[in-house]
Amino acid sequence: MKRPVTRRKLLGGVAAALAGAILAPAARAAKAAVRKVFVSSDAPKGYHPGDHQWAMAIDAGRCIGCGLCVEACKKENNVPEGPYFRTWIERYVITRPQPGSGESRGPAHVDSPNGGMRGFPEPPVPKEEIQHAFFVPKLCNLCRHSPCVQVCPVGATFDAPDGAVLIDPKYCIGCGFCIQACPYGCRFMSPVTHTAEKCTLCYHRITRGLRPACVEVCPTEARVFGDLKHAGPSDPIRQFYERNKVQTLKPHLGTEPRVFYAGIDKEVR
Amino acid sequence: MNRFLRLPPQILRLVLLALGIVGSYAVARHFLTPPSFGEYGFYRGAALGEVAARPAVLAGREACAECHADQVTQVAAFSHKGLSCEGCHGAGQVHADNPDVAMEKLHYSHCVRCHEANPARPKWHKQVVAKDHYPGDKCTECHVPHAPSEVP
Amino acid sequence: MNEATNVVLELLPHFEGYVYPNEATPQPLWSVLIVLYPYITGLVAGAFIMASLVRVFNVRALEPVYRLSLLTAFAFLLCAPLPLLFHLGQPQRSFQVMITPHLTSPMAIFGFVYAWYLMAVLLLELWFDYRRDFVEWSRRAGGWKGLLYRVLTVGVDDVSEASVDLDRRMGHLLSVVGIPSAFLLHGYVGFIFGSVKANPWWGNVLMPIIFILSAIVSGIALCVFNYQVLMWVRRRTTDIRCLDVMGMFLFYALVVDAGVEALDWIHRVYSAEEGFQMMHQMANEKLFYTLNLGQALLGTLVPALLLGTLQLLRRHIPELARRRIYFASAVLILVGVLAMRWNVVIGGQLFSKSLRGVMSYKMEFAGMEGWFMGAFLLMLPFVILTVLIRLFLPEHPPGGKTGLPDAAPPPRLASQTGAP
Repeated sequence: MKRPVTRRKLLGGVAAALAGAILAPAARAAKAAVRKVFVSSDAPKGYHPGDHQWAMAIDAGRCIGCGLCVEACKKENNVPEGPYFRTWIERYVITRPQPGSGESRGPAHVDSPNGGMRGFPEPPVPKEEIQHAFFVPKLCNLCRHSPCVQVCPVGATFDAPDGAVLIDPKYCIGCGFCIQACPYGCRFMSPVTHTAEKCTLCYHRITRGLRPACVEVCPTEARVFGDLKHAGPSDPIRQFYERNKVQTLKPHLGTEPRVFYAGIDKEVR
Repeated sequence: MNRFLRLPPQILRLVLLALGIVGSYAVARHFLTPPSFGEYGFYRGAALGEVAARPAVLAGREACAECHADQVTQVAAFSHKGLSCEGCHGAGQVHADNPDVAMEKLHYSHCVRCHEANPARPKWHKQVVAKDHYPGDKCTECHVPHAPSEVP
Repeated sequence: MNEATNVVLELLPHFEGYVYPNEATPQPLWSVLIVLYPYITGLVAGAFIMASLVRVFNVRALEPVYRLSLLTAFAFLLCAPLPLLFHLGQPQRSFQVMITPHLTSPMAIFGFVYAWYLMAVLLLELWFDYRRDFVEWSRRAGGWKGLLYRVLTVGVDDVSEASVDLDRRMGHLLSVVGIPSAFLLHGYVGFIFGSVKANPWWGNVLMPIIFILSAIVSGIALCVFNYQVLMWVRRRTTDIRCLDVMGMFLFYALVVDAGVEALDWIHRVYSAEEGFQMMHQMANEKLFYTLNLGQALLGTLVPALLLGTLQLLRRHIPELARRRIYFASAVLILVGVLAMRWNVVIGGQLFSKSLRGVMSYKMEFAGMEGWFMGAFLLMLPFVILTVLIRLFLPEHPPGGKTGLPDAAPPPRLASQTGAP
């Protein structure tokens, strides 16, 4: 009984080999075509999206809450006045527990006055009552499985091949579904264009070899930016990953953000 | 063919109408889909270029160094070396394109913004309660922003 | 510096706790218009399901309202895209949803589901039911009405036994196909909310089911309402048997819907996941009247008691009282389901995704998301329905005997009543 099986196997093998031989050149041609499409992009000359993988990391322990990043972003991207922010800073003030209460810590007070653009006022509790206090810069989390991209009905927001999550302002119909779907609150409806807007990682700067505006003005290197495809071991972003234990925001939602945070507390959402 | 023609008349008319509607949709879809759609993914490929085509507003320190190399070198030697020129002097691309356009005026709030004492700021960052430290509004009376370590 | 931050804080006083800066807008992103859209499509789906009870489940007692239900569904379906269109930031680009539909988005199927439901289900079913009448009316009516009826015959004037029999069978088939289509038409709206994992008020698996069930309830209630209003306008008596059967279906649908909504509530309270405290606060403070009074008490409990009493004691309650109770229940349910849509849509935006803050919302009078627009969009389907009734449910049809919804069915022997 072994022989028919062997013959069948042999025939099957030959058929597979033939199919492979026929299909392989076609597969190679297809791959070359895709590569050609990638190369012939409309981005600034000499910039190939497939050659880069941009990433941002936040070292919250270094943020001093000056708000220079928020202001620079508003200027750089012409963000409208009012409650519209592509990036912002939150301040967390965690108080000491009431003496004798048996609690481990008191309540946390979170604020972000005007996104932190002009800095922060006095904390809401006296200095003696503060157990921990820190700032957390927030921005688009560059999710691997972006819920915002998933829910766009027309394909106006998308994952660019080089890691940024962008919006096509000429194609967006302004339905707001992506704004509802983002768990991190990083999108808004522009009152000027009536389309959705968000952090673009300053795409117009990074494609020209500049750094995003927020990274450019940060005085303490709390925002770390780099190109993971060209970052050597001494690159700041590689150093960040090596040195820090990191967290992502709302990991239970499965969005797998690519923005990692170092130095944040369990209170941060 | 005969089977087809033997459809009851109302069904036949409806089938033709349905084909007409679906056909018009297919034609419309062909003509109305933007040309670069689907190039990289489910979006207009041309959007990448359009988003990247915005002009920059901040120039970046390398641009400042082109003309103000001395100041940039000086700042880089002291503790403000991580601070971007545009953090205090304002966005600079307009000035870089046309040096006749002046940069923003400097102000007390530029210093206080970073150095006002706040419990949420990390301990290693130099901060003072401004009102107690100095009652006036010109920090430059004692401090040199480009060389801040040289406090008298 | 402090002055600058203080000024901005005062400009945005309508939230407590902490909200993400992008959430501190004076109006929620999805407002009255997006409350109305699920309400209207729900009425469409529910009215259609009620009509299907006649064709698919052979509930003969509902025959008098069959055409009225379908015309109701049609009138409301025509108005359904309007709130969406008015809400879009760039409505002139709305056609893109049909040209490049992103199939991972539930919203993308709107164009196709709507087109399918409108053309392949509702219009076709109406047409097959009316075809014989169109042929007859087109022969007897003159002027533009006659022209309209002639156009609607699609040029076919065969009204033989076989042809009419085919119409009936096609109508039956379309009803069968129509039931899942109606579920899809409104279910996808529930899924739009149910799929948003970022929002704990919306993103759960019961949401599409609750939407469909409350849609059925609201649709039946609308048919009761329309039937009674139409007969009142025409000074005719409603068929009490028809009302009794509608009331029965309404009661059981309401009980099932209330049961599933209660399950949602119980599950939330029991599992008390993160954010529950804040959502509880939001529901108690911001949604107190619309939730407890509007949806729960007036919209569910009171009608359930009224209709339940009628179920138990129908024989002992005189016809006039029953008619009044059915009408009152229908109105309360319609208001209650609208309150439910409000609670879901607006409620989901009255707290921050940071789970640390709640916002308030004061509806404006004028403007795209104001009272006037809401009232207009709710009135418009009734206006359209009036026109449709004039054309297709005439009191005195051109020479024909069909279409009067109050035609008393021949007296039935007890053994013949198979309907529950």
